[in-house]
Amino acid sequence: MDADRLRPVVVRAYRVMAYVTGTMLIILCFVGIPLQVWGHNDIIAKVVGTIHGVLYLIYLVVAFTMTRFVRIRTASVTTIIVLLAGTIPILTFVVERWISRRYIDPVLASSPPSPTPQAAVSQ
Amino acid sequence: MSDTSVVPRWRVLVTPRWLSWHLFAVFAFFGMWWLGDWQFHRALDGNSLSWAYTFEWPVFAIFGAVFWVKTVKDELNPKPPEDPEEIVLPAGAGNVAVAAGDLIAGYEADEGINGIARAVLDKDGEDGETADAELAEYNAYLARLNLEVKGHGKWHGLR
Repeated sequence: MDADRLRPVVVRAYRVMAYVTGTMLIILCFVGIPLQVWGHNDIIAKVVGTIHGVLYLIYLVVAFTMTRFVRIRTASVTTIIVLLAGTIPILTFVVERWISRRYIDPVLASSPPSPTPQAAVSQ
Repeated sequence: MSDTSVVPRWRVLVTPRWLSWHLFAVFAFFGMWWLGDWQFHRALDGNSLSWAYTFEWPVFAIFGAVFWVKTVKDELNPKPPEDPEEIVLPAGAGNVAVAAGDLIAGYEADEGINGIARAVLDKDGEDGETADAELAEYNAYLARLNLEVKGHGKWHGLR
C-alpha cells in the first residue's frame, strides 16, 4: 500500500523538522532574546525569529501529516501537544522521542516492508 | 420500547468537551487574525520583523481552522485501523500458532507480554535446541510488537 511506503518518508521529514525547528527555537530563546533584552542587540532575535516562524509553518504541516500516518487520533491531546511542541523550547526533542517510542516505532515495525527475520530461517 | 441506547454519532460533538473545543477554535481563529492585524500595524510603524508575522498569523489561523475541520470529520467518520489483524510472520513462524494457547494463557495469567515471551520460550525449551530458543525469542518479539499496536489510537482523545 502507498501509505506503507510513504510512512517512513513522512516520519523522517517530521524528525528533521522537529530537530531543526527545535534548534532554531533554542537559539532564539536562549541567545536571541537575552541579547535583545540585556544586550540591546536585536539582530539575532530578528533573523532567527523570522526563520523559526517560517520553519514552524512547515513543521505544523509535516507534524500533522505524521500524526495521521501513524494513526494518532486527530481530536486528541497527543496531536495538539505534537503541534504546539514547535513553539516551546526543548519540547520538540522530548515529544519526538516520546512519539517515536509510543507510536512511530510500533507502527513502522508492524507494517511492511517488515524487518528481515534472520533468526526465523534457522528452522 | 424503542431502542434508546443508539445515539447518533454527531451527538458526541455537542458534549461539553467538544463544545469547549469548538469555542476555543473560534476564539483562536479570530484571535490569530487579530494578531496578524496588530502585527500589520506594527509593521507600518516601522518594525521590520512584524512583516513576517503579519503573514504568518493568518496562515496559523487558516491551519487552525483546517485542523478543527479535520478533528470533526475524523470524529464523525473514524477510519478503521489499517489491516488490524494482519501480522506478517516470517517463514518458520508456525511455532507461534502452535503455541497460541500458551500465548493467551501467558497473557491472561496477568503476566502481560513477559508471560507470552516465557510461554513461547518454555514451549521451545522442551526441544532443547538453542536455535529454537532464538527463533522463539524472535517470535515472541513479533507477538509483543503486535500487542503494542493493537487498539492503537482508540483510547486517547477527546470524548
